Order: sequence, then C-alpha cells, then structure tokens
Amino acid sequence: MKSSRTLGLVLIAPAVVLVILFFLVPVALTAVFSFTTMSTATGITGGAYQVAPNTLRRLSDRTGMDELSEQLAESKYVIDERGLAALDSLDVGAGIAVELRRDHLGEVFATRREAERMIRDLRDRPPTREVKRISEQFNRSVLNARFESRAELFAALGALGVELTAQEQDAVAAATYTGWTWTTENFRRMVSTPDTVRRLFNTVVYVAVTLVLFNTGFAMLLAIATHYMPDASAGTFRSLWLLPRVSPPVIYVLLWKWLAWDTGFLSMFFGQFGVPSRNWLLDSALNAWVFVVLINGFVGASMGMLIFSSAIKAIPKALFHASEVDGASRWQQVRHIILPSLRWPILFVTCYQTLSLLTSFELILLSTDGGPGGATEVWALAAYHTALNNYAGNLEYGYGAAMALILVVIGVALSLFYLRLFNYRALVARPLIEQ
Amino acid sequence: MRKLATMLLRATAITAALAAATGVAAAKDVTIGVWSGGSGPNDNYRVDAIEMAADIYEREAAIRGEELNIIVEKKPYPTWDDFKQALTLAAEAGTAPDIVVTGHEDIAPWSQSGLITPIEDYIDLDSWPVNGIYENLMEISSYGGVVYGLPQDAEARPFFFWTPHMKAIGYSDADIEALPAKIQAGEYTLANVLEDAKKMQDSGAVQPGYGFYPRPANGPDYWQFYKSFGGEMQDASGKLVLDKAAMQRFYQFFVDAVEAGVTRKNHIGTPNDQWFAEVASGKAGTWHGGTWHYARYVNQEGLTDFFGNVQFSLIPAGEGGEANTLTHPLVYLLTKQDSEDEMTTAAELIKIASEPRINTLHAIKSAHLGISKEQSNISLYSGDRWAREATERLLPHANAMPNNSDFGAYWNSMWSGLESAWTGQKTPEQAVADVETELKSALGDAIIIR
Repeated sequence: MKSSRTLGLVLIAPAVVLVILFFLVPVALTAVFSFTTMSTATGITGGAYQVAPNTLRRLSDRTGMDELSEQLAESKYVIDERGLAALDSLDVGAGIAVELRRDHLGEVFATRREAERMIRDLRDRPPTREVKRISEQFNRSVLNARFESRAELFAALGALGVELTAQEQDAVAAATYTGWTWTTENFRRMVSTPDTVRRLFNTVVYVAVTLVLFNTGFAMLLAIATHYMPDASAGTFRSLWLLPRVSPPVIYVLLWKWLAWDTGFLSMFFGQFGVPSRNWLLDSALNAWVFVVLINGFVGASMGMLIFSSAIKAIPKALFHASEVDGASRWQQVRHIILPSLRWPILFVTCYQTLSLLTSFELILLSTDGGPGGATEVWALAAYHTALNNYAGNLEYGYGAAMALILVVIGVALSLFYLRLFNYRALVARPLIEQ
Repeated sequence: MRKLATMLLRATAITAALAAATGVAAAKDVTIGVWSGGSGPNDNYRVDAIEMAADIYEREAAIRGEELNIIVEKKPYPTWDDFKQALTLAAEAGTAPDIVVTGHEDIAPWSQSGLITPIEDYIDLDSWPVNGIYENLMEISSYGGVVYGLPQDAEARPFFFWTPHMKAIGYSDADIEALPAKIQAGEYTLANVLEDAKKMQDSGAVQPGYGFYPRPANGPDYWQFYKSFGGEMQDASGKLVLDKAAMQRFYQFFVDAVEAGVTRKNHIGTPNDQWFAEVASGKAGTWHGGTWHYARYVNQEGLTDFFGNVQFSLIPAGEGGEANTLTHPLVYLLTKQDSEDEMTTAAELIKIASEPRINTLHAIKSAHLGISKEQSNISLYSGDRWAREATERLLPHANAMPNNSDFGAYWNSMWSGLESAWTGQKTPEQAVADVETELKSALGDAIIIR
C-alpha cells in the first residue's frame, strides 16, 4: 500500500512540475505584474535614478517645486580644485592636470561639449575616451546623470550643495526613479477606458458563437453523422475534418485570406456575376465576425468530433440493437441513447473549449488583427497588443498583465460554474456495483 | 650532449611560451551584433555599412599595430513589430545586440530603461563625420540634450499623384508642374484632393475606392494629416498635446473620403504587396507614402518611368493647418553592454558607417535622403534625380515625431480612434471623445488636452 502510494507520487511528479512551471508560475507572475507600472521604459529588473528633462517636468507638475527642478536642470562644468584632485587618482598624463590648473582654473562651461572642446585643445591632446573621463571629473550638475541608488543620487545632490528636506527628497526620488512601481492604476484605467466594454462584449460573442455552433454543435453533428456511416468512409471523413487542426496556423489562415482578399477567390468568383471585388474578410464588422468564427470553428470542431465519436463508440452496441428492435428512429436513438451517455464528454469539451477560446487569439491576430476598427478585437488579443505590440517601442507589460489577469479570473470562475452545472460530484461518485 | 639537449628543450619551451603569449595578445576577436528594423531588400546597407566600417576599422588598427578581428553579426528584420518585440525582450534577457537601427522615437523609453547608452559617451561629437551631419537630425537623435545615437538615414513622406489620371480630368502639363508649389502655398488643399479623386473615379480613370489610396496600415504617416488640420504633437516645453478639434477634423477627412467613395471603408488591412503593386501601376489616383517608396516602385514594381507618371509634393493642408511632411529618421543606437571595449568598438563602427560615401550607398539604394550636406558632393548622390528633388522639395518642411516615453500610448490611441472612425464603428466625435478619455486615464497630467 505504502509503496504504491510512493509510486503514485513519483509518477505524478513530472505532471506537477509541468503544472507549476507552465501554469502556476505564469499565473502568479501575471498577478504580480498586473499591480505594477512595468513597461519597456521602466524595464523589468529594476530601475535607477535619472534626472532627465521629463522627470524634472514631472517633478514641477506634480509637486510644484519649480525652483528646485530649474536648479536641477542646469548643466555646468567647472574647472575647480576638487576636479583637479580627482584627476590625480585617474591615470591621465600629469601634464594635463598642470596645464588645466595653470590656464583654466575657475573656468565654467555650460555644456559638456564646450568643456570637452577645451580639454581637446590642451597641449597633450588626450584620446577621446580619456577626454570623456576627464570632463566627468568637472561635472557640477546632475542633469542626465544616472544613479544606481537613492543614496548615490542624494550624495551627488549634496555634493552640489542642494539641501533637501525629507519630504522633498521623497518627491525627487519618486520623480526621477526610472523603474516600475506598485500600483492599482491599471485596473482603474481598464474600468475607465471606453473600449473595455466593447472588448468584453466581443469576447463573449466570439466564445459563445464559436463554442455553440462549432466546437460542440458542429462537432456533435460530425460525430453522430460519422457514427452512422460505414467505418471506412467515416474514417476518411473524420481525417478530412482534422486537416484544419494539423495544418500550420499561418498557412491555414493564409488560405482563408486567399479566399477572402479583394484579389482572392471569392472576389474573382463573384466578379463573374458583376459584383465589384472587395476584401470580404474586412468588408464589414459582420463579415469579419463570420470569418473569425469559421476560421476558429473549423479548427475547434475536430477535437469535439474525436472525443464525441469515441464516446459514442463506447456505448454498448446492445442498446442500439435493442432500440432498433423496439422501432426507435435515428433521432430517438440520438435523443435517448447517445446524448444522455455523452454528458461527461460534453462537459469536458465545453469546459476545455471555453477556456481555450477565451485565451486563443492567434488565428484572429493572423486574419483580421482585431479589425475592422477594433470590431473583432477580443480581450486576449487586446492584452497581447498592449503588452507586446507598440509602434513606438514602449510595451506596456503591467497594463497588459492586468488585462490577462482578468482572463484568468473569468476562466477560473467559469470552470467552477461548469462543474456545478454538470454536477461534477455525481459524475465522480463511487460506482454502485461492488468491485 | 645532455647539456645540449637541455638547452634545446629550454629554447623550445621559451619559444613556445613566447609564441603563445604574443598569439594571445595579438589576435583580438570582437563580435559586434547589429539588428535593424523595418528593413526590406533595398535596406541592406543599414547593417552592411557596419560590416564595411569594421573592415576599415580593422585596417586602421593593423596600422596602429593591433591585430583586431571584428565579426559582425547582422540581423535585418523586415517588419517593425517583430523587431521591437524581439529587441526589447532580448534586452531584458541580457542578449541585446551591440548596435540597433531603429526609429528615433525609441530613444526616450529605451534610455529611461537603460537599454541604450548615449553615443556621446564614446565618440567626439566635434570630429568628422559627426560634425557634418545635419543639425536637426542630430537633435532628433538626442533626448534631453544628450546625443544618444547617430542618424542612419533621413526621409520625407510625400503625397503622390498619378499624372496620366490628372490629365484625364483636365490638368495640363503646366498645371501638374505647378502643383507642388500650389500645395506648399496652401492653395491646393486636402478638400481639393477629395474633389479630384472623385472626378477621376467619375471619369472612369480609376475604379471606385481608388481615388485616394492611403497607407493601408498604422504608421507615422498619419500624424501628418493631424498636422495638416492644425494639430500639434507637443508644446515648446516637450509636453505631449492632444488638440481635440484638429484630431476630429483629421478623422472627419477620412470619413469624408469613405463617404465620397474615393477611399474604401475596408481599406485598412489591404496587404502591403497588393498596395505597392497597385499604386505603382496607376490603379490609384492619389496616395501618400515615403521617399523610399521610389526604390520599391522602380526596382521591384517595374515603374520604369517614375517622373513621367508621378508627381509628388508635401501633404496638402487641411482646414486650420498647413502643408507639411514628416521625417522619421532611423538612428544607430548603442545598447548597454558589460564590456566597455566592445561598446567603444561599436561606437567607432557607427561613426565610420556614417561617413558620407558609405551612407550614400544606403541613401541611393533605398531612396532615403542623406544625413549630411557633404553627400551632395558625391556623384552617386548628386546624380540621382529623386534624391536631389526630394531633398529640395520636402526636407525643409519636415517635422519629426516627439521623443517622449509616453508617445507610444498616445500613438496607439490616435490610431485606434482613426480606425474606428474610418470603418464606421464610431463617429469622429465619439472617437475623439474616447481617445480623450483613454489618454486622460493612461497619461494623466503628462498630456495637455485642449
């Protein structure tokens, strides 16, 4: 008993590891990311403190510290004793420090470029890399400097003689921090964005229509139809319907595009009857939806078909024979024998396909990309666009994760609902027959 | 005898040790990765220039007595989406290439995250060829007064007319010749574009929906129309600006185009290849694109007599604005790496790749514009009619998009608003109201709304 239990644990271990790695960890990370301001600009692994013009603008906009932000925005290079002393510790030629002290002590330059011009004009003209190191020793401003920690930032400000109260320090640190911070702003933004309702509505339409018409409805039709066919033709028929699933998605969608584009098959065909050519895929919101549902449905139907047909095969033949003796019609067989025995598979397919439809957006991305005008932008696609697609190079990971988290919550809630609806407990109850 | 053997052995050992030591010191291998975005078959010099620069730099090092061996790993991406996704994720994983060729608008977010390092930390800005690069392009490659990269190319985005169709609706050769000047003066506006497009369709010169045939996908081009209707992207202090009235007029223009039947309602999403083939073969009456389209029309699409069939100009003015064009220079940026030596080498390569002769190869092959005045002294450049005329007619009126980390969010909103108005999902008024709500919640006080 004990060894079989251990063996069971060992056998299940790989599955547990996979579930943790590919499900629980991503979900947990999504949840964490969704409460942050993470984007390409903030980076994922942490930030620094940078006194850039935009951070200074933020400082004066948010706290009204105009004077301080003006002071920080000043760029200044001063040839002073402090810098000359620092030069000694660098490995630059001794002549340079001597010449700087003799000819340039006390000079002030407004920009780095001007200071470097002077350094390059020294008699021992240093190489470019050296010039940069030398000029840095005389930098008496923090503009555009990047500090790895808060302490370094305030040490540098202190060295410039900028004294700040604790409150001012917090404001400066907050404004100049480049990394991500914790926030609930993502969810507030989601609620106040006009497109949110529409995307949710799109998602409901997409999932419900595809699920009912194809993933369960059409799949059931195929399973029942092939059940009553001779074995050989049933096999051929089923393999045909498997083609959309086994073909690579990009090529599969490309075939649909060739069908629907304004230079495609449909346009050419209808052109024969005088219909002007048009992009049938994106012609109107309705057209786009028809294609989105068909493209996804043809892929989705095959799985239900396989599960339902094998479940039908598992029904004892005697039941069918007996019903035929009693004179039952095909419809009566379907209604009273097949459907009641398929409760489990239907629960499974509905549950699984709802969740997979909720999160699958790749075929929509490849076909309409959410168009026309966002009409087929479903929630998962919008999350993808937000988190991983931005023309100006600033991907919004945090907001995208918050959108994805909503999907996780909906998915879990729906699973619980389905389990209750199909009375899961009764389905897994101990068999009444003694073993 | 034994002594001799020992001596021989010692000598061999010393020679071997010396050879090994010098071998290590001499052969220095540096691998420099360079990725470029949005680079088609005509844009190979974006990455090839770095390879050429590496060859020159190696020779220079050899003369100085260093044996330097630079391996350039080139990776051009044909599209932008894939490139930006791949690069930002590679950077997070610490595997970004040394050099990236990308749009200047990436400087703001990428400098904030520390993904890129200012090139001015590694090169002398007063040295040639950097001191010969157009001042405004250097400014576009800077952020907050710091020079982050060097411009890789310049361009402008013209408005195009298919001249045979213009003649079909009554334009004379002289009229067509004078059109660019009229557009620049604001005498021929976007309203006239719609009128003429309609006339071309009515006269049967072009099919319905082909009178005005805009870019079929998102891109910087659409900001030009916002500008044409008087919109501003940022104020003098560098803060983003949403001008609601201008945005609405801009959306309304595309809605009007659809209503007049000169632009298709389902135009967005038209495959790029189809679009290029159509505009280069005279299927469309008017359209807009970029200076680099010239290379594609002529090299790939078989439009041999470009100047005999196409007139080009600034984007015409709309109500409340003026004729304009947009330049969207790509820049060579230096990513943050652990090795200072590697970064110095990468910076040097960028500098050499920006020399007029090398840059001209890219400018002319891809029909972009040069980055420095000196390029007009190079016969390849000066002998090219397109480069010469486009530089004169367009570049002085070119604006650039702002370098601002929040611009991406603004851009996404602008585009989704335009798309929803264009396809009839929302009225222009509704679309602008939604853009406003979206921006208020996304950017807060970082954008001025008026």
